[in-house]
Amino acid sequence: MSTPPTQAPLDRPALISALRARIARMERAGASEALAARGENAIPLAAAIDAGLPWGGLPRAALHEILAAEPGAAAGFAALVLARAGGTVLWIAPEPDAWPPGLARFGLSPAQLVLVRAPRRQDALWAMEETLRCSAVGAALLVADELDLTAARRLQLAAEAGGVLGLLLRPDEDSAAPTAALTRWRIGAIASDSQSAHELGDPAWSLDLLRCRGGRGGAWRATWHEGQANLVTEDGARRNAPARRRA
Amino acid sequence: MRRRCCGPPRLGMPPGDDPTVSPTGGRHAPSAPDDLLASLEGTVRGSVVATTPASRLQAREASTSPLGLHWAEPSAAPTPRRILALLLPRFRVERLRRPGPVAVWAQHGSRRHVVSVSAEAEAAGLREGQALADAQAILPEVMLAPEDPAGDAAALERLALWALRFTPLVGLEGDDGLVLDITGVEHLFGGEAAMRSEVLGRLARMGLSAIGAVAGAAGVAVALVRAGWSGLVPPGREQATVAPLSLAALNLQPALVSALQGLGLRDVGSVAAQPRAGLVRRFGAGLARSLDEALGHATRPIAPIRPPPEMAVSRDFADPVVTREGIEAALGGLLDDLCRALRDTGLGARRMLLRTSRVDGAVQEIAIGTGLASRDPAHLMRLFHGKLESLAPECGFDRVTLEAPVTDSLTGVQGGLGTAGRMTRREELAQLIDRLSQRVAVWRLAPQASHWPERAVRRIDAFEPMETPESWAVRPRPVRLLRRPPYIAAVALLPDAPPSLLRIGRQALRVVRAEGPERFEPEWWRDRSGRKLRDYYRVELVSGARLWVCRIGLAEAGTEARWALHGHLP
Repeated sequence: MSTPPTQAPLDRPALISALRARIARMERAGASEALAARGENAIPLAAAIDAGLPWGGLPRAALHEILAAEPGAAAGFAALVLARAGGTVLWIAPEPDAWPPGLARFGLSPAQLVLVRAPRRQDALWAMEETLRCSAVGAALLVADELDLTAARRLQLAAEAGGVLGLLLRPDEDSAAPTAALTRWRIGAIASDSQSAHELGDPAWSLDLLRCRGGRGGAWRATWHEGQANLVTEDGARRNAPARRRA
Repeated sequence: MRRRCCGPPRLGMPPGDDPTVSPTGGRHAPSAPDDLLASLEGTVRGSVVATTPASRLQAREASTSPLGLHWAEPSAAPTPRRILALLLPRFRVERLRRPGPVAVWAQHGSRRHVVSVSAEAEAAGLREGQALADAQAILPEVMLAPEDPAGDAAALERLALWALRFTPLVGLEGDDGLVLDITGVEHLFGGEAAMRSEVLGRLARMGLSAIGAVAGAAGVAVALVRAGWSGLVPPGREQATVAPLSLAALNLQPALVSALQGLGLRDVGSVAAQPRAGLVRRFGAGLARSLDEALGHATRPIAPIRPPPEMAVSRDFADPVVTREGIEAALGGLLDDLCRALRDTGLGARRMLLRTSRVDGAVQEIAIGTGLASRDPAHLMRLFHGKLESLAPECGFDRVTLEAPVTDSLTGVQGGLGTAGRMTRREELAQLIDRLSQRVAVWRLAPQASHWPERAVRRIDAFEPMETPESWAVRPRPVRLLRRPPYIAAVALLPDAPPSLLRIGRQALRVVRAEGPERFEPEWWRDRSGRKLRDYYRVELVSGARLWVCRIGLAEAGTEARWALHGHLP
């Protein structure tokens, strides 16, 4: 280390963040190369969430795990990420039930969505790995029930090699299990702020960042404003408030 | 190592003009994969039978194509065709491959009679048309097999696939014959006579007795073998050869044959000498047609069992290939050759067919398809890789053929240019989807003009272009549509009111908000009759989860409404 120890107490937070960044660079050496070749950066979600993530958004060339506390909300969040990743995206599932008329509202056009049906687990993993290694793809999503650490690690390495954003959509079961993915989210639905019993209003989600390599977790409550096509978080005061509010 | 090239229809051009066609042409330099093969397999005899660019050029210049589908340009002179017809009179018995006397019998009404006998059984006195009981009395040890027309047809087709090793144009003739267009390929086997004897010899080694005749037209050759004549007819001698043959050459109905014989017309020549008008009036146009075909006045088309490939390469092995490594090496060499030929013509393959001929005559085929035209050997090899397992070499393959039945034009892309980046990306994506679709199902969903949820999108090929209408999907719709919507129970205050409580499985879920109903009428123009309309509601539960549920059928007081959960809203 070139930094003399005497300087450490002076600017401790800066030093720690510099070291963190350095470790992150070393860890994802292949990914940074792949990304430099493509000249693309992290995918923005919402201003408040981006500020909480060390990469300023959801980074490409990595695997992100989404635990679906509620299937509709999780699929909506995944569609949002896939659409913002751009390019051709693949949806790999034992029985893909993604429905373009609904996904189109998140900006994911049916022309860029390719569905892959892989009923057998090893086929699904193989297809996901092949896809993540192909830099011509924008993003890929794998619907999987359970995934062991080795398989997840393989997918993470493949994503780093190809520079592709990978999403793992899993049911919300054991959030304590270790993961090889860069981040782990739990996406649930919350009651919307609509005042009427005959109008649903804009979808509202609870976004819990359970794990984040090189960063701190967090919890946000966000509303998807369809007209403006952006995700708006509620004010920071409620950031760690219990995710319950009666209408 | 010997390597030869030819375009199957060698039409109009002197051999010296075209280096790929000439047997003394310049393609003698062995390439690296060949050396590897040679070391693997010992003696290797390779031949490249390719419909190469040269032959495409020729086909354009020539008067007739192998199929006779293209007509002559006025200036070009017609090229004489040479056709080899094969008749396997005992095919039904010999394909069973049983030792000793064998007979095949059939049942017509209550009568059982013999329809085909092997040579040994015939020597013992069995005849076609004999009653089955008589045959058993004459030769008690004869092995009897019931007739199996479907099995015979399948076996003949397999034999026709095997015959593709001689020429790319092979057609079936009736249920016991083959027609091979050997125009321009006979020199590969050392002339017509040598080729004919090689074909017959190979058939004999497979235990099939056959009659073969070569003539200038398919109809003539078939007539010759039907009458039992075997040999070569020099060009221009067709009529003289066919005229003295018996009426069996015309392949007529037995009643018609006996009627003609009753008139004293016992050979083809005497029938042909009769005034045509009277013949047609009395016996129908069918007789005149078969007479014209037999004498070569009318052309008889060959319906090829496989369309002649745009390009094909093949290799023969003196030592059969058995191991996976051997097959892969052979395939690699063939892919290199074929891709080189494709590059020379500016084409790319959309479909490829690997055909392997086993030593015992069985033929196996593996096909791959690509989304975009490709001529990248490494990519194509990867596509074949997973499918090679389905081959069963058993005693080994003695011939491997690689064809490109469907091709598209593919112009070269110069690498290293900035503008090529987008093209390479597209190509990479196409290669990925090709690889995936060899193992799993891959598709896209295109919008379709239908309001019925199950038909709002349709599956299309991943490479098919699609258009999204401007005003598509303006209403809130689920992001996940359940393929098998479960029936649920719902409680509503009034029969046609939105649900206030849903029971899914054992859970009772209170509905906080509901939007709807949105009524979907069935599409009478494409639905089965009796399909019920649906009233869809978008509901939000206490937990915040949003569901797309529907009531099936009209809500009526007194009857229990059926509800289904059809999708998850975001």
